[in-house]
Amino acid sequence: MKFDLGNPAWRATLPPSRSVAADAPVSACAFSRDGKIAAFALGDGCVRLIAADVTAAPSAATDPVHKGAVLSLIADPLNDGFVSGGDDGRLLRIGLDGKATEIANHKGKWIDKLAAHRGNGTVAASAGKMALVVDKSGEVREFGPHQSTVTAVDFSKDGSRIACSHYDGITIWSIGHVVLPPRRFAWRGSHVALKWSTDGKFIATGTQENDIHVWRIAQANDMRMAGYPAKVKSLSWSADARWLYTSSQPVFTAWPFAGKGPEGKPPLQFGEEGAGLFTVVAAHPTAEYVAGGYDSGELQLGDIKTRRSVVLKMSDGAPVSALAWSPDGTRLAAGNENGDMLVIDLRR
Amino acid sequence: MAQAQVPVTVLTGYLGAGKTTLLNRILSEQHGKKYAVIVNEFGELGVDNDLVVNADEEVFEMNNGCICCTVRGDLIRIIEGLMKRKEKFDGILVETTGLADPGPVAQTFFTDEDVKARTRLDAIVTVVDAKHFLGQLEQGDEAEEQVAFADVILLNKTDLVSAEDLAKVEARIKSINPYARLHRTQKSQIELAAILDKGAFDLKRILEFEPDFLEHGHDHDHGDEVASLSFTADRPVDPDRFQKWMGALLQLRGGDILRSKGILAIDGAPRRYVFQGVHMMMDADWGSLWKDGEKRASKLVFIGRNLDAENLKRGFEDCLK
Repeated sequence: MKFDLGNPAWRATLPPSRSVAADAPVSACAFSRDGKIAAFALGDGCVRLIAADVTAAPSAATDPVHKGAVLSLIADPLNDGFVSGGDDGRLLRIGLDGKATEIANHKGKWIDKLAAHRGNGTVAASAGKMALVVDKSGEVREFGPHQSTVTAVDFSKDGSRIACSHYDGITIWSIGHVVLPPRRFAWRGSHVALKWSTDGKFIATGTQENDIHVWRIAQANDMRMAGYPAKVKSLSWSADARWLYTSSQPVFTAWPFAGKGPEGKPPLQFGEEGAGLFTVVAAHPTAEYVAGGYDSGELQLGDIKTRRSVVLKMSDGAPVSALAWSPDGTRLAAGNENGDMLVIDLRR
Repeated sequence: MAQAQVPVTVLTGYLGAGKTTLLNRILSEQHGKKYAVIVNEFGELGVDNDLVVNADEEVFEMNNGCICCTVRGDLIRIIEGLMKRKEKFDGILVETTGLADPGPVAQTFFTDEDVKARTRLDAIVTVVDAKHFLGQLEQGDEAEEQVAFADVILLNKTDLVSAEDLAKVEARIKSINPYARLHRTQKSQIELAAILDKGAFDLKRILEFEPDFLEHGHDHDHGDEVASLSFTADRPVDPDRFQKWMGALLQLRGGDILRSKGILAIDGAPRRYVFQGVHMMMDADWGSLWKDGEKRASKLVFIGRNLDAENLKRGFEDCLK
């Protein structure tokens, strides 16, 4: 996978894309496991499926699958469909025909965060103070209660554990059939985002107080990076786990985790300053690239090796609220608060 | 979808005061408006409604070392989630539990940038049980603080007490907070216009909202009880000295000062300087122009406990030119 961002073609024209408009905000998006379909979670309860092939005929809108808003969406790790969570408390499997089957129902709770482990076929979800884990047989187990609402979940690299963020720190649970006591890592305040590093060694959180916190799991020590002008709600580890990308900056911002780690080092900031601050960042699934969406609606693609960036979409005033790579890293899906859904083909 | 900030009304009141009755009315009456309601006890409301969201009152302390800097993280999350819905709201009502301190709810709207961008705190409405209020005051600080924080008070269940007892309760409420609008009600019957979209936290509407603002408070010694103090001055205020004094005061005494408001005649400034705070959090802005020949007077109000009237008076006077 190679994007030559120095090639003038990237600056002369925007890459081919397809845009579809919905009349409700996009809360999440994802590509299917086979990369053929991009799905968008909408505030009207619909999950909209759009072909990754930007030249294919657009599919029609389907009926709502959730009552209220769809709050979370990921690729189904077991098949080429999707898994969604809503403010109706339901966790659903969505087939490619748009049909939904219910995995769990926690009425009164919001299923607002999801994660999947492809190797194990497992899905994790937040449901109030509990975390749910759905194994590949469809069995749902609950972990918790945590001291406050679970704000994010993620899997360890091998899929044997999940980490949950909440007030005053994070909790790690072994989800195998041998029941082990949870491990808690404390840091005061409200943690609002969480990502386990792609090598399994670190867990990063974004906090209410405009900084990020990272724990080194084996040594149980931690570090804090401050100085953001807003909450960091989006975190993304590079495929090789050498970099942690963070939102809430006007340029791509990556903390170095290779070697001794980021202690005492500034983050690497690169690319052209965009309009506003990044609301979402997404590292490329295999290579040295990163995509980011701004609160102005602008989209950029960056290359950490050459430290270049190019604009993929101009700002239009609607904050980018969702961003996802296709598994092979050739396409991007993006959604905004206005309900615009975009699939971009980056092969050129 | 970009829209104006949604007004948020905080509904407090001791257990059994009539909050649920009021919410049920707001949800079931035909008023042509759409209100989202954030409640603490799911199922207590009679209506099963998409617009009702369950909250857990999850308070956390900000990491800035200030003990009174507590915020409702669940509200931040829920408001963000509500804004993802297709339907847009005319308002949001947040019900607190009967024993809740309204401070963290109010402070959430001073603290979180996302919440501030999408919503605005409109008013704190407190429902008071006319029959049991005096007894509730004996049972802890909650009933008193709920009244102290209020912009609007529904003195409810007036049909259950004698005229004499009602006058007693009303006098006690006024001794805690003379600045709130008080409505006597039965079964929480009130025009929605009296409680919604009041702009009580709108710096531009501070004067409009409080006709009694110029009235002098009760600055005799109340000991540990919540009381209000007000100060006025005819001489202009020195902005630097005031900032220093107010900053230090809220830093040190923010825990005891529940609410503060002021309209100041700053030396040499053509506009009023208006501010208001909840505990140690404060919002300030320039208000309307002074008219030609208008008397430029400053007013300052504190509602809180253990307020040292002499000390505050001296502090304020030191800020005058």
